[in-house]
This record gives sequence, C-alpha cells and structure tokens, in this order.
Amino acid sequence: MKNKYYRERVFRVALVCAALPAFGGCTKSIGVKPWQHDILAKEEMQLVTHPNITAADDHIYFSKEGASGGRSFGGGGCGCN
Amino acid sequence: MQLKSRPGEGMKSALKIATTALFATMGHIASAQDAGTSNSQIIDARDIMTAKSKANDTNGGSTNITGASTQPGLDFDTSLLFYQESGSRVRAIEPVINITDTQDNGDVISGKLTFDAVTGPTPNGAAPATVTQNFVTPSLAQIGTTTTQTSGGSVTSVVNGLVTRTYSTPPGVLPVDAGFEDRRTALELGYTKALNRTTRLSFGGAGSSERDYTTFSGNLGIEKDVNNKNTTLALNVNFEYDKSRPFFGTPTAFTVMSAALKGPDDTKGELDVVAGVTQIMTRGWLTQLNYSLSELHGYQTDPYRIMSVVDPVSGLPSTYLYENRPRSRVRQSIYWGNKISLGPTFLDLSGRWYHDTWGITSITAEASDRIPISRLIYVEPHARYYHQTAANFFQYYLTSATALPNYATSDIRLGRFSATTFGAQFGFKVFSSEFYIRGEYYRQTGDHHPAAVTIPALQSLDFFSGVSAVSVIAGYKFRL
Repeated sequence: MKNKYYRERVFRVALVCAALPAFGGCTKSIGVKPWQHDILAKEEMQLVTHPNITAADDHIYFSKEGASGGRSFGGGGCGCN
Repeated sequence: MQLKSRPGEGMKSALKIATTALFATMGHIASAQDAGTSNSQIIDARDIMTAKSKANDTNGGSTNITGASTQPGLDFDTSLLFYQESGSRVRAIEPVINITDTQDNGDVISGKLTFDAVTGPTPNGAAPATVTQNFVTPSLAQIGTTTTQTSGGSVTSVVNGLVTRTYSTPPGVLPVDAGFEDRRTALELGYTKALNRTTRLSFGGAGSSERDYTTFSGNLGIEKDVNNKNTTLALNVNFEYDKSRPFFGTPTAFTVMSAALKGPDDTKGELDVVAGVTQIMTRGWLTQLNYSLSELHGYQTDPYRIMSVVDPVSGLPSTYLYENRPRSRVRQSIYWGNKISLGPTFLDLSGRWYHDTWGITSITAEASDRIPISRLIYVEPHARYYHQTAANFFQYYLTSATALPNYATSDIRLGRFSATTFGAQFGFKVFSSEFYIRGEYYRQTGDHHPAAVTIPALQSLDFFSGVSAVSVIAGYKFRL
C-alpha cells in the first residue's frame, strides 16, 4: 500500500514537471500584438456582456443552490439562502 | 459631444447633467467608504463596468487588455425579471436600473438600484407523512402587522393567549408554508480609479434591506496589466455584515415549533478574497481563471425551517423542531471562463469547482453561443449543468429513537441534487442601444425515494423538494 502511495505521488510530481515546460513553451505563442485586438475589442468578446442578466442568474442560483461565487464574490446580498 | 449639437436634445443634456451630479455625490459617499456592499451587489456593480469595457469582471478601469472602446459617457442598463416556480410556489419580480459614468480621465463610477418582490409557498422543512400534518406558527398580528383571518390556506386564531397561525398539509404531500412574502431594496455603488495605463484600483459599497434581513458590505480591489497587456492580474477583497431579523424572533436550535415569539436578532460576518488571472490566448480567445476563498461566521440557520421528528417504526410525526446549522463555513472555488470567437459566432464556455467545510462539493458547466441573425439581431442559446453533494448534516427527518445531532437540516439546497438550465436570449441593436429578452427553464432533479429513508411506511412518499422554474428577463441598454 505504502509503495503504491509513493508511486502515485511520484507519478503526479513527474506529470506536473512535464507539464510546466510544455506550458512555458506555449506561453511564447499565446497573446497578441497591440494591433491584433480587432476581435477581442468587440462587445461580444467581453466576459460579461449583460450585467443585469449575469446578476439575475447569480441571484437565482444563490437562492436555490448550495454553492455560489467563482466568477466573483459569492454572497447573495439577501437572506434568501 | 454630438449630444450638445443636436436640436431637441435638451432633455438628454439635462438628464446627463443631473446624473453626473448624482454620481459626484455617490463618488464622495464611496470615497468615504461609509456604505456597505453585499457580495453579489458588488459583483453586479463591477459587472456594469465590465460589460462595457472590461475583460476581468472584478475590476474597473478605463481600458482593459481586450482593447474594448471606453469613450466617456453615461451608460444605462434597465431590466425587469419575472421568475415563477412550478406548482404555484415562489414568484419574484425584480426591476433593476444600472448606471455607469465613464469620465474623461478614465475613472468609472457606477450605481445600481434593485427592487425585489417575492411571494408564494415555500417548503417548511417537514417531511411528507402518511397522515395530515398540522403546523403552528406565530401570526404576523403578534408583531403588529395586519393579517387576514384566512390566507394561503392558513387560519389565524388566538390559542392560549397567543395570536396563532395554523396550516395543514394532506397525507403524502410535501409541507409548504404559504405565508412567505418579502420585499427587498438594494443600492450598490462602485468607483474605479485608473492609477496609470496598466493599474486600476476599485472600491465600492452596497446595502440591502428586506423586512427581516439587512446586509452591508464593502470591497477593495486592484488589477494590473502585464505581459504587454496580454495578462491581467486581479486581487479583490470583500467584507459583508448581515443582520437576521426573523418576523417572530430567532428560534433556539431544536426547540419545538410553536406560536410563541422567539429570541433576539442575530448576525453574520463574511470575508471574501478573489484572485484572478485574465489572459489573451489568441486573437479570438480570452480566458479567465479565478480562485475564491470565503470565510463566514455567525447565524446561518434558516429561522423558519423545521424538521420532523418521526417514530422509527410507524414513521408518524410526533413533533417538529427548528433546524440548526453550523455558525462557521469556509468556501473555496475555482472558476474558469472563456470567450471564443468562432467565425461569426461568439462562444462562452465556463466551469466551476466548489467545496466548503459543510461538506458540499459541486461542479458547474455552462455554455452559450451568440449567433448573429443579421447586422442588428442576434440569438444566443444557453445551457447549464450543476451538481452538488449533500452537506454532512443534511437529513430528511429526525427519529424519536436517536439522540439529537449537533446540526441538522432538511433543506434540499444543502442536499444532493443536479440542476439543468436551458434558454435563449434575443437581442436587437439600434445605434448605441440594445433591447434584449431572455427566457429560461431551470429544473432540479434528485432522488425522490432516497435510500436514507429507511422506514418502510415512508418509502413510498416523494421526499424530493427540488424545484423547476421559468424566468424571463427583458432589458434595454443605452448610452447618453
């Protein structure tokens, strides 16, 4: 049991070590130049396009589910949960 | 601005001047930090800023890494939400007005006013039974509020000198209390200062008041663009203070449901920290990763909820006790959001993992795709899946044969269930304004005959108290 535990642990560490250089390699190709914001600057590409709808969703899910938050703070501002 | 040169625009100018003056006052209030802010309200206020120009919704500022246009001006977003649960349960109507002022120097001031009106029956926490169940609560008349003699299936009368409200539930039916009604007013203010071209400081406050609940909160956040404005690092802190003022006082845990008035008000404090990274991946892919940590201390029990105490053999209820939840809770979540341009459409993909010290673990996956129908019209179908495990003190009922636990609740919101949402949004754009409407169907699914119900007489009854609901929100966004 103990050996199995250590093997799994070593495997996980090796996986992370292997992933880091790969991510580092990727970082060279991610991102854009300042003149390449044509699509990103569109209103449709913003993470929140309709704040009232996002707020209504957060409020409904906060009052009906055990989990909340993630996108930002998780409270509900009400006594509904 | 063109606004001033157009004939017949005097009213617009006057409105803009008046609103600017209002925001100047609000800015001073926010600066003094004398207004509290509830969590979601702060979020909402920041979202106002975000919708216009921001890639990271927890921060403000004149520009963001997407390069979205942020011309000075006033942005309005007004909407009306209608929400109705099946079985004639909870109904809510919520009008909202949201105003954002982007100033010449890049600073952003925002304000939001929300009203809620919520009515309808809601489960009282008791388990269904094979016999008619009778419930007794204090009447609103005891606290000086007018009430009818018979309302929502309940009857008001004087019992042992106490003005008492009683209601009954037929055999095999989930007990609900029809006396639920509340109204809420919430005000949120936010201010974002652009310290330089890559750093923004934001703070805000909010207050929310219901007839039996008040909340105040304040927040502070900073965000920094790095990596040649391809990455935004954000850190936000929020503190919330809540006061619970139940209509009939705060019941003592596990005392018998009665018509007597209960104990004094109680409070809760909450500290939230959200750390996030927003990254431009490609010309058409924006991603965001957030880690959230919240610590809550204080009263978190539902003062109106009870639990059945049943006979372990017959399953017949012998009494009803007020529920009890722990006073501390630590929540953690990891959120991953994406916006991806796929040809003419824009895909929104997000996921969330959540865990708290009450034992709830949940996963959420959500997707929507904005599809242009024409240059002015779009449709955006939306789907969401949610699943959570039960809190470690969740149980459907107590039995008279076992000792009382430290904590117990039968609230399905702390039980095991899944939920799905399907809907679509339509938008119609005219110049710098947009009319939008979205309809959705939300449905919770779970175990109607759970294995935890071991008493044979109760196993044929439906123990799942989850809901299904429809909601419609219509709004109009415009700029002055």
